[in-house]
Amino acid sequence: MTKIKDNISIYLSMLVCSIKSMMEYRVDFIVGIISQLLTQVVELIFIWIVFQNTESLAGWTFDKLLLLYGITMLTIAIVDFLFDSIYDIGPKYIKDGDFDKLLLRPIHPLISVMGDTKTFTAFGYMAISLVLIISMLIKLQINITFMLIAKIIIFAFSGALIIGAIMIAFSVTSFYTYKSNEIIWSVFRIYTFAQYPVEIYNKFIRILITFIFPFVFATYYPTLNYLGMENGWLMYLSPIVAIIFLIIAVKVWNWGLNRYRSTGN
Amino acid sequence: MSIIEVKDLEKVYKTSDKESGIIGYIKHLFHPKYKEFKAVKKVNFSIEEGELVGYIGENGAGKSTTIKMLTGLLTPTSGKVIVNGKVPYENRIENNKQIGAVFGQKTQLWWDLPVIESFRLIKKMYKIPENEYRKNLKKFSALLELDELLNKPVKNLSLGQKMRCEIAATFLHNPKIVYLDEPTIGLDVLVKERIRKFIKDINKEKNTTVILTTHDLKDIEEVCDRIILIDKGSIIYDGEKQTFKDTYGKQVLAQISIKNKNALITNETIEDEFEVIEETEDFLKIKFNHDKTTIMNVVNKISNFCEIVDMHVQEQGLEEILKEIYRGEVVC
Ligand SMILES: Nc1ncnc2c1ncn2[C@@H]1O[C@H](COP(=O)(O)OP(=O)(O)OP(=O)(O)O)[C@@H](O)[C@H]1O
Ligand SMILES: [Mg+2]
Repeated sequence: MTKIKDNISIYLSMLVCSIKSMMEYRVDFIVGIISQLLTQVVELIFIWIVFQNTESLAGWTFDKLLLLYGITMLTIAIVDFLFDSIYDIGPKYIKDGDFDKLLLRPIHPLISVMGDTKTFTAFGYMAISLVLIISMLIKLQINITFMLIAKIIIFAFSGALIIGAIMIAFSVTSFYTYKSNEIIWSVFRIYTFAQYPVEIYNKFIRILITFIFPFVFATYYPTLNYLGMENGWLMYLSPIVAIIFLIIAVKVWNWGLNRYRSTGN
Repeated sequence: MSIIEVKDLEKVYKTSDKESGIIGYIKHLFHPKYKEFKAVKKVNFSIEEGELVGYIGENGAGKSTTIKMLTGLLTPTSGKVIVNGKVPYENRIENNKQIGAVFGQKTQLWWDLPVIESFRLIKKMYKIPENEYRKNLKKFSALLELDELLNKPVKNLSLGQKMRCEIAATFLHNPKIVYLDEPTIGLDVLVKERIRKFIKDINKEKNTTVILTTHDLKDIEEVCDRIILIDKGSIIYDGEKQTFKDTYGKQVLAQISIKNKNALITNETIEDEFEVIEETEDFLKIKFNHDKTTIMNVVNKISNFCEIVDMHVQEQGLEEILKEIYRGEVVC
């Protein structure tokens, strides 16, 4: 337990340093935010067009759908901020031979990787999600209580940990190919399914995003809960799913690392 | 118990033996073929606390591979390593707390951060007590002249400046053992000097055990007391540096300008007293052994064949000895 505490404590210190050095890249920062905003706006226009011909989508109104979309973006902002450097393990750390230095530190190498983050898109996601969440909560006449805000924050983090765990598990491919970032990216992109109500999907995709890559715990169930809809209680399973997936992910990753250390390439 | 024990250590690298082209790639997917290469072969040594050991050998001899196993970066194929009671590749993170390591030009510092911020993170990571940290920082700053560098981001430092900071970072947590794999590569003479002095000073003060790999034999001459020489994965010498020089460095090289040569100087005519390496009408390059003969004897012998105009005698340094060993002219 002290080991975990030490790791988290040093992780936070590293994160603070990373944020400080991110501040130095003002231009990248602004470009990151704007490019994300543009991408998301295009997506939203697309949804708007769909709703020009229909009142609701699988029982979801436009406003509710946008709330789901906003909740998803909030989770993704946190994922992007905390786990973005996972993509670097293969193409940067291992390819450039910088990975060894992480293995020489008295902390878990994943902490070193995640503590050294530099992402600018996270703030774009964050901005759009806050706009969407706040405006839709008001429009849907949901009381913005302290409790609700706390829930939204806590379960956005919990959901982010689920997605992060899946990314960590798939980053084990970094030990086999420098292009692991593409593999992680394609798994990560599954989240786009979960930013729409699961009712619109066939069985296969529902099973995929509920049980195999349980992104629904990060987006769909919390939104059901905030809207006071049926099955909203399933949100409370999210932290348990997160912990289980994190443990599995780290185990898989350690296994990959050990294999890597015995082959040496 | 020695601080480092290495027993029958071996490392076999497996590299995939892919045929080229897409068909070769697919074939490989189903029937992977591997080439095996034994980079380290049955290596044995033990190192006492506080020793300064030079680990030397040609390119590709297996030095870095050995160091990687000692630090736990690589798991040995067979054999055993025990460092201060711990098995590094089984208990890597615990072992990391007691060691420091530098690998060539790879920096452990954070690229975007000012050096001092990196040091603070290291302090936190290794839980260095505040007073110990201050003491070390002050001392290292003086020895390595870091004062002006501490507030600069690492990415703005020159290679030499970076390496000085790197060395300081490596010793900051008072490691019991430090592995330096080519720490002086690409540095100018003055920075090299400074780093060598630093290593010696810290070793004297804290009894830090240091294993140093380098191709600059001046590093070894100045820092190390003991040499371990590895060749094609096997240890061919392990012992005192001085003994090494005395044993293999008895050769003296002489370059002699001559005139009026009256006969060919073959190795038979001089009864093996010395060895002729090069011979022309007015020049002679010879080699002889201190144990077997003296300069006077050699001069006398040569005078039988020609007149000596000028003579230049050279004792063998570590570098020359190693050259001969690498070329196979001298066998350990
Ligand atoms: N990851 C690897 N996969 C396959 N072969 C390797 C690998 N790393 C090293 N080798 C081979 O193992 C041998 C020893 O390499 P090593 O890096 O230990 O040599 P070295 O003594 O450190 O050389 P140098 O002085 O050039 O640094 C070399 O022949 C090298 O080609
Ligand atoms: Mg090497």
